[in-house]
Amino acid sequence: MSGKSVKVLLFGAAADLAGEREIEVNVGDDSSLDELWEAAIREYPRLSPMHGTLAFGINGEYAERNAKVSPGDEVAFLPPVSGG
Amino acid sequence: MSDSGSIISDTFSIVEEKIDVEAMISAAQRPDSGAINTFVGTTRVDESDGASVEYLEYEAYRPMADGKLSEIGAEIREKWDVRHVAITHRLGKVAPGEASVAIVVASPRRGPAFEASRYAIERIKEIVPIWKREVWSDGYVWVGSQVGTRGE
Repeated sequence: MSGKSVKVLLFGAAADLAGEREIEVNVGDDSSLDELWEAAIREYPRLSPMHGTLAFGINGEYAERNAKVSPGDEVAFLPPVSGG
Repeated sequence: MSDSGSIISDTFSIVEEKIDVEAMISAAQRPDSGAINTFVGTTRVDESDGASVEYLEYEAYRPMADGKLSEIGAEIREKWDVRHVAITHRLGKVAPGEASVAIVVASPRRGPAFEASRYAIERIKEIVPIWKREVWSDGYVWVGSQVGTRGE
């Protein structure tokens, strides 16, 4: 398994809890968003309570948790939106 | 039910300055429309535990948020006979009573204008990646996540 580093953008409460707006997460080849999330909370355990409410984005569109992450993708951790 | 015979003038904007609601209404005035409905969301000062909200601060995931505003416009054009849809959302610090979002819909008749305007604000609160932080006199809260420093 060679693995790879994926850029993750954090917003709102997620950025607040992690103390970062952008992180790099190392995941194995052919990983899903769920696997990327598990790797992310090992490094940023304060994000862990957000698991149930967080949505994910890949390249600017909402993505399911089982979606695959490819090298060069822009992943986003999206807390419940609260615009308006 | 889009009006394919004319040029679509819809606008979807995310801005960091005061929203010019009057300009949005002027841009919606058209001879084919007998109704313009305007919704303006403003920042409200809530109070609890002897503290109050001092201001709100918004952030967005761009350009995804811009794309989602356009999607809402397209959904509206599918559902109603409207001739102009404009949505502007403000980011950054917004003082009490100021507009954080404005929606202007023009339609030949008032029914669709009212309904589409209501639909737009509800969809914004569902799908547009924008987040609001309430800054209180005793801490802050990320609305929707209940993460912050109040009560710590």
